[in-house]
Amino acid sequence: MALLEIENVVAGYGIGPDILTGLSLKIEPDRSYCIVGPNGAGKSTLLKAICGLVPPRRGRVTFEGADLAGLRTDEILRRGICFVPQDRSLFPDMTVTENIRMGGYILKDRRAVENRIDEVFGMFPILRDRKSQLAKTLSGGQQQMLLLGRALVLRPRVIMLDEPSLGLAPIVSKQIFDSMAELKRAGIAIIVVEQNARMGLKFSDWGCVLDLGKLVFEGPSQAVLSDPRIEELYLGRVRPRTGTDG
Amino acid sequence: MNQSIQLVILGLTLGGVFALMASGLTLIFGVMGIVNLAHAAFMVLAAFVAFWAFKYLGLDPILSIPFVMPIMFLVGVAVYRLLFARALADPHKRGVTVLVTFALALIVEGVLGYLFSNIYRSTRPSYASDAILVGPFYLPEAQFYATLLSIAILGGLWAFLQYTRTGYAIRATMHNRTAAEVVGVNVDRISMLVFGIGMALAGASGSMLSFLFSFYPSKHWEWVAILLSLVVLGGMGSLLGALIGALALSVIAAFVSAEFGPTWSPVTFYLALFVILLVRPQGLLGKKPEF
Repeated sequence: MALLEIENVVAGYGIGPDILTGLSLKIEPDRSYCIVGPNGAGKSTLLKAICGLVPPRRGRVTFEGADLAGLRTDEILRRGICFVPQDRSLFPDMTVTENIRMGGYILKDRRAVENRIDEVFGMFPILRDRKSQLAKTLSGGQQQMLLLGRALVLRPRVIMLDEPSLGLAPIVSKQIFDSMAELKRAGIAIIVVEQNARMGLKFSDWGCVLDLGKLVFEGPSQAVLSDPRIEELYLGRVRPRTGTDG
Repeated sequence: MNQSIQLVILGLTLGGVFALMASGLTLIFGVMGIVNLAHAAFMVLAAFVAFWAFKYLGLDPILSIPFVMPIMFLVGVAVYRLLFARALADPHKRGVTVLVTFALALIVEGVLGYLFSNIYRSTRPSYASDAILVGPFYLPEAQFYATLLSIAILGGLWAFLQYTRTGYAIRATMHNRTAAEVVGVNVDRISMLVFGIGMALAGASGSMLSFLFSFYPSKHWEWVAILLSLVVLGGMGSLLGALIGALALSVIAAFVSAEFGPTWSPVTFYLALFVILLVRPQGLLGKKPEF
């Protein structure tokens, strides 16, 4: 059984049009996924639909066989699905430690949270060095690490990241992807949405290509990377020539 | 010199109450982005409750606070559920909420005017016109008690925000609503709670308003204008900013009032509003958009 199953999901914002138009996808455990596709393909919306921020209008999302329909974000989080949004959504005026502590907000056992904060510091020593600094004073890469650290406090089964490399220097992005690889080794399924498809696919096991709210094709990252359809999606569709055309 | 110190004392003893009045407004704005124009109308409503409780039950307006606060909390929760919960869920509708609070202010004012008519009222407990003599200085008793109590309530609020799990969640929602949602804060419940707390604070300050100032149903427009200027001065959503702004401005207002006459003292607040918007639009402790 797949860890996470998305079946025919239709979703959109407010009274707006459907962004996801019947998307189906299976996420297996112990594998890292990279979701790629042109702007407006529905990549971010897919992540938000899974974690309950944008509840699906139709279709089903099941996690370990249980339907997530009607659950709030905090309830889905409790099951072990963690979402790291695109806009560096930290608490800017809280310290690094406070930010990580907020990651464990839904846990009742305060002592366990403090222990896990220590574990996070073990994984990202740079955060320990800056634990009393306000989050807004960190560099872009450190903020991204803090976001990862904050998600890890819950020891989630799945971490979904929306464009973690956005606005980061290539060398810093590489560090972030390296830490994600480590998380995968720790048994966490990773789903990354990346605008930089080449980079995202290079660091993940499996690639999923989205367009117009649907899954177009998927496969091992290497295969996806060399698939001609990828270029077609990013550079525009190749229209069949007809006699009357230019 | 002595007169200046006296004016500072007078200013500070009103400033604490102003800070309490502004705290509910700034808290609700900080968490929900709602500019609650009805805040002062609910203060006046609470002042009427205190007035009648004093007149018919002989209940001291300060002692009425423990009853008024929970009642106003429940009123706040109901108002939030009824009027704001759905609007907040849709970011496009958030702008409409200011119209809703405007309407709410008109309704509260209308009902109060219908029930109690627009005449000046004021609660007169025994300490209302007494003063304590400290050396050469007068400490107006009513203002002194009200400010002490206001600071105590604000201190309690601060400790609640700083040290409890719910307080963490409230601050987190203020800093970044999406991030709060992502770490599992039920932002809808937090908003409801904060609306209730904001109303309870309006209730407490209304009880004090009832013996510090005279009031009538449409008096709240004057108050809400002053409170908004305090909130803008301190930085929208900043509690500490509101406290500093309130203390500073009421001291300045005391000097203006002594120099040019009491009718000019409200002008202090509006002038400060203009100045702050020109030189530091984010307010003393307000946050510039950083992320």
